[in-house]
Amino acid sequence: MSDLLRVNGLTKQFDGQPVLRDIAFGLAEGEVLAVLGRSGCGKTTLLKILAGLETPDAGTVLLQGENLLPVPPNERQMVYLYQEPLLFPHLSVFENVAFGLRIRKVPRAVADAQVRTLLAELDLAEHAQKAPHQLSGGQRQRVSFGRALIIRPRLLLLDEPFGNLDAQTRADMQQLFLRVSRQHQITSLFVTHDSREALTVGTRFGYLDRGVLSTFASVREFIQDPRTNIQAELSFWENIQQTAVLTP
Amino acid sequence: MKPRNWLLLCYALLVAGLPLAGLGYALLGSVGLAGPLATGFTGRHWQALGADAGLLKSALFSFWIASVSLTLAVALALALVLGAQGTLRRRPFPTLLYVPLLMPSLVMGFYLFQLLSRAGWLSRLSFGLGLTHSVEGFPELVQDAAGVGIIGAHVLLLFPFLTLLFQAIYQESRLADYRQLAQTLGATPGQFRWRVAVPVLLRRAAPTLLLSGIATLGAYDIPLLLGRPYPQMLSVYIATRLQRFDLRELPAAYLAGFLVAVGLLGLILVLTRLTRRHAL
Repeated sequence: MSDLLRVNGLTKQFDGQPVLRDIAFGLAEGEVLAVLGRSGCGKTTLLKILAGLETPDAGTVLLQGENLLPVPPNERQMVYLYQEPLLFPHLSVFENVAFGLRIRKVPRAVADAQVRTLLAELDLAEHAQKAPHQLSGGQRQRVSFGRALIIRPRLLLLDEPFGNLDAQTRADMQQLFLRVSRQHQITSLFVTHDSREALTVGTRFGYLDRGVLSTFASVREFIQDPRTNIQAELSFWENIQQTAVLTP
Repeated sequence: MKPRNWLLLCYALLVAGLPLAGLGYALLGSVGLAGPLATGFTGRHWQALGADAGLLKSALFSFWIASVSLTLAVALALALVLGAQGTLRRRPFPTLLYVPLLMPSLVMGFYLFQLLSRAGWLSRLSFGLGLTHSVEGFPELVQDAAGVGIIGAHVLLLFPFLTLLFQAIYQESRLADYRQLAQTLGATPGQFRWRVAVPVLLRRAAPTLLLSGIATLGAYDIPLLLGRPYPQMLSVYIATRLQRFDLRELPAAYLAGFLVAVGLLGLILVLTRLTRRHAL
C-alpha cells in the first residue's frame, strides 16, 4: 500500500536543544499511527510541524507525494486536536461543528444537513442548540471531534485528546473514535502517553523518546519493547491476579 | 444592631442611599418643593421643558460623542491586539500603554487644546511650513460643531485602557490556541479575527465597554475645555444651569439633572440585560 503521508529526516531544535531528531515514518490511507511517549518527548512539536503550525529545521513532509512544508496550515486539510476541546465559546454546538463549512462558504442548506447528520452520528443531536459550557467533558470532546470530521480532513492529528477525561468517558471516546475513524476511513496520528489507549485506537504503533521516533512492524514488537512498559504492566496485573487467587 | 448589620446599612446608604437621595432632591427641586427658592408645588418647569430643545440637543450631542469615541477606541484597540500581537508582548510597548492612563482627563484636554486649536502648535507649524495661508486657515479641530476635539481626547484616554483589557482577555481566553485550531480547520487569519477573536473579545469586554460608554456620556472636564457653548454635553449643560446667578433657574437645572440621571439608569439597565444575555 502506498503512503498517504511520508516524513523523512524531520529535525527541530528550540534554543539549541534538539526536540525532534531525524524523524522518519510513513502512513497509509485509513491507518491510525498511535505514538506513545512521555511528556516533553517532542510529540506536540511533531504534530504541530505536520499541521503547519511550526516549521522544521530540516526534513521533508510529503502528502500524496506533494511537499507539504510550503503549504499554509489553513490549506493543508489536516486538523490538529488539542487535549482540551477548545470549542468556540460564542457559538452553539451546531455552529461549532458547522464552523469549517461556514468558512468554506458551503451553501447553508447543504452545510446544515451535513451537520445534522454528523451530530446524530455522534449522539449530539439533542444538544445542538446548547452552548459549550452546558456540556459535559465527553460531550465537548465529541463536538470537537465532529468539528474536525465535518471538513473531511486528509489527516487527523490528535494530541492526547482524551487525556482530561475520566476513565469511563475516556473508554467510551476511544470506542467512538474507533467506530468513526473506521467508518469514515480517517487517517490519523494519535499521540498518547497511555499504552492501553495506544493499543485500543492504533492500527500501527510508534514510540517517541527524546525526539527519536521508533515505529514497530507489529503489535507484538510494540508490546515487547521494554520502553513501552507494557510487559511490566502485564506482569504487574498477572501478579495481582495470582495473589488474589492464592489469598484465601 | 449587630456590627455586621451596621456595616450593611452603611454600605446600602453609600451605594444606593446617597445617589437616590440626590435624585429625590432633584425631583423635589424640579417641582418647587426643595431648593433655596422653593415656592411650593408647581408643574411650571416640567411644562416649560416642551418649549426648550436644549436638553434634548445636549442628550443627542452626548450620545454622538460617546458612541463615536467608544467605536473609534474599540476599533483602535482591536486593531492593535489582533494586528500587532507580537509587538504588544514585547517590552516596552505594554508599559507605554499605561502612560496616557496616568494623565488626568483635564490635562489631556488641555494638551489637545494646545495642540489642535487654531492658535495651537499644529496650526502654527502648518502656517510656518506654508501649508495654511494664515493661522485661521487651520481647520477647526477643537471647540468645533462636531466635537472632533472632545472625541479625540476621549479616544486617546480610552484606547490604551481598552487595548490592555482586550490583551488580557486575549491571553485569558487562549485566543492564540484558538487561532492555531481555526487555521487547521481552514480559517484564514481574517476569518479567525472576524468569526472568532472579535466576537469573543467584545462579548467578554461588554460590561466594561458599557461602563466606559456611560462614563464618556457623562464626562465633564474634557467637553468643558474642548466643547462649544452650544451644543453642550449633558454634564456641562446641567452644571452651567446650576451655576447661574439667577436662582429661579435652579428648578430647571434640577429637572435636567433628574431626567438625565433617570435616563442613564434606564439605559444602563437595558444594556446590562442585553450584555448579560450574550455574555460568555
